[in-house]
Amino acid sequence: MATPTRTLTDGEAAPLRDRIMANPRPAATWLAVTAVLFALQAGALVEFMAALLADAAAALPGVAVPAAVLALERAADAVPTLLSRETIPNQGYYNGSGYVGTFLGLSPDLAWLLRATLIYAYSFVTLGWLWVGYERYRTHYRIADWTPRDDVIDRFREHKWGLFGVAVVAMFFVMVLFAPALSPTTTAANLEDPYGNELTYWTGDGTQTVTVGQANLGSQSQGTPQENVGPMQYDDYGRIHPFGTLPSGKDLFTFIAHGSRISLIIGLVSVGLSVSIAVVLALVTAYYKGKIDLGAVLVSDAVMGMPQLLLLIMLSVILSGTWIGKIYSGAFVLALIFAGTGWPAMWRSFRGPALQVSNREWVDAAKSFGQTPTAIMRKHMLPYITGYVLVYGSMTLGGAIIAIAGLSFLGLGVNPPTPEWGRAVNAGQDYVTTASWHISLIPGILITLVVTGFNALGDGVRDAIDPESDAEDQGGASGRGGGA
Amino acid sequence: MNRLKYIVKRVLMSVPVLWLGTSMTWFIIYQGPVDPAANLLSGNERLTEAKYEAARTELGLDQPPLQHYVDWMWSLFTLDLGQTWLVYTGSNVGALVLDFLPRTVWLGFWSVLIAICIGVPLGFYAGIRSNSVADYVASVSGIVWRAMPNFWLAVILLALLVGSESLFGFDWDTFLITLPSGVTGNPGLSYMAGDPLALFTQPRETLAAIKKILPAALVLGSASMGNEMRIGRTAVLETKNEQYVDFARARGVPGRAIVWKHVFRNALVPLVPVITTEAFLLIGGSVLVESVFGINGMGKLFFDAAIQGDLPLVGSLMFVFIVLMLTINIAQDILYTLIDPRVGYDGT
Repeated sequence: MATPTRTLTDGEAAPLRDRIMANPRPAATWLAVTAVLFALQAGALVEFMAALLADAAAALPGVAVPAAVLALERAADAVPTLLSRETIPNQGYYNGSGYVGTFLGLSPDLAWLLRATLIYAYSFVTLGWLWVGYERYRTHYRIADWTPRDDVIDRFREHKWGLFGVAVVAMFFVMVLFAPALSPTTTAANLEDPYGNELTYWTGDGTQTVTVGQANLGSQSQGTPQENVGPMQYDDYGRIHPFGTLPSGKDLFTFIAHGSRISLIIGLVSVGLSVSIAVVLALVTAYYKGKIDLGAVLVSDAVMGMPQLLLLIMLSVILSGTWIGKIYSGAFVLALIFAGTGWPAMWRSFRGPALQVSNREWVDAAKSFGQTPTAIMRKHMLPYITGYVLVYGSMTLGGAIIAIAGLSFLGLGVNPPTPEWGRAVNAGQDYVTTASWHISLIPGILITLVVTGFNALGDGVRDAIDPESDAEDQGGASGRGGGA
Repeated sequence: MNRLKYIVKRVLMSVPVLWLGTSMTWFIIYQGPVDPAANLLSGNERLTEAKYEAARTELGLDQPPLQHYVDWMWSLFTLDLGQTWLVYTGSNVGALVLDFLPRTVWLGFWSVLIAICIGVPLGFYAGIRSNSVADYVASVSGIVWRAMPNFWLAVILLALLVGSESLFGFDWDTFLITLPSGVTGNPGLSYMAGDPLALFTQPRETLAAIKKILPAALVLGSASMGNEMRIGRTAVLETKNEQYVDFARARGVPGRAIVWKHVFRNALVPLVPVITTEAFLLIGGSVLVESVFGINGMGKLFFDAAIQGDLPLVGSLMFVFIVLMLTINIAQDILYTLIDPRVGYDGT
């Protein structure tokens, strides 16, 4: 314990660096393991960043992707990564006596399973290690023995339902982050340019090479047992399909893994934006009350008076032709619309707590000391509503995922060929009771699971912050994406 | 403040909301990046100047924007909804809405009713038997119901019903009442035209219409069902621990009477706003559910109009939806004051 007997404020205590120097062992071992963990997967992280950057550059209207960004993307691919398609390849072919090109000559399904399992194991070990890091900080380096936040965290650790939510959300994030490595094939080869790529397969008495597009035509899932590639089945070309294939013969798992990226990015951008609007507005209206509050009530009522999903449909139709509608396959404008239609409900949820805080005596005291309104809002009011931000943010994110999937189910929103979960449900809707049941069923179950996870996380955080409150009840609609 | 004053104030409060919402709709449609007039013409027609000008004149777009705005708002508030261009070309929107609205109302009514009839009793049961296995099963299934996307549930349910004969051994189409047109399509409500009492005098027709709408209503009500269950459970849990319940028990009131008279009636109060706020979800969800089940209701009409680019129709329908939502909201507030007189009249 580095805790001094006398109570110190942050200003009086030695800086964190000195505290670590005084007792370097726990920090050093933790950092060493973290460095190893990071080095193992550095490539995947750099790849994700580079892909984001390239997407952002490609999104700008009228600008060709700068060569530097493309070079960066290539360089990112070259960074060695332990758990990648290159180190544990699953794409190979049978040559009559054994598998060629797969990891250790394993069959493709085992190679893929091994890679997926290792990626998830790695991710959870890393997450656990981050937690260890926090605990070490808490026991060895933090000045205070106890802070109110410790109680919140301890309550959350007891909350099984909330922990379930954390696990599901973490698995979803891992899927987003490692989508290229988790997929049995690449989007470039399988979804975007199947005729520009080739594969070798075993015909029964020899190997042959066809384009991926040709192979896709031969591995369609059309509902009949003859024309169907189900979950964990091989197609005629020796490729493994963990979730089966789409009616077009493309790989459903690759589609879903990359679709999760767009769902999460739209969700995060839109929820981030609407939370920011809602928080600022809640603080301002709670501080000034009166006319400003009334005006905000009217505007938010007017926006909420238009059913959110209908507004989404109307705006995505109207904005689809503009340059902003083309950014990131239409995902960006969708996030903006979602934020623009979603903030009123969120503001309504923050308004009550913000009003309560604004009536407390310390706000009055700060006013009488002559602090500026912005300082009061930031220092004396904001900390009391951040908990609600987490709760509603988490639940709205689930709703956003449903709504986006609903829009692309209707053929709006994210443009093909960019994968989106709702489009897979749409593609499979004629095959639900046939052999190709997997096309609609799997994406739907995944949406349900992810949304349940986000809701559970929100529940857990709410109960941890304020065990007495029933914050979610008035905003029951928030987690539902406007009814999609 | 008495009740009448409260209601008048509530109605007055909704006027600026209606005005703002409608103005936003006008702005999005007529000042947005899409030219509504050009959108209404087919590829060839768009090339001829005369046709385009005619369309602009017809929509009033040759006027200055402000004049157009005033005209447009005025015609909406006098319930002149204009005509359609691309969807059911040339029909009167008002007549179209009158034709389509009953199906959506029928769907909405049954989805609310089913949700209440299943969700509330299950929630109350779970609340009374809290922390039992039944409670956990009910709670978890409620949470999952809430998280399931409507469109997906609709697709799955539709497929199961269409294939019911081979899957479950009974044919949904002929189960109890034969539906000639299969699972999808409009509920037959025309028998009630001009004679609303036919709802009771012709039970066969009514039952057929109910059966037709049942799957769609179940899907549309699914989220509400989960919500109501959750809140019903919490409400019972809270009421159960109230002092007057303890007091009644101490006086020797039998358990059954306590549950019915003291717990249930008070637990119902927090459910009222929940049931009516579901209206938001119902209207939004109707687009997807009506599309999947092929019901020609308001949601499908709106979706068709949006997809085909009939923007004037989209605007008029949005106005109808806003009016609908405001009406439901006011009705909720009035209902709330009737059920629970303790609710303050000054709250917004």
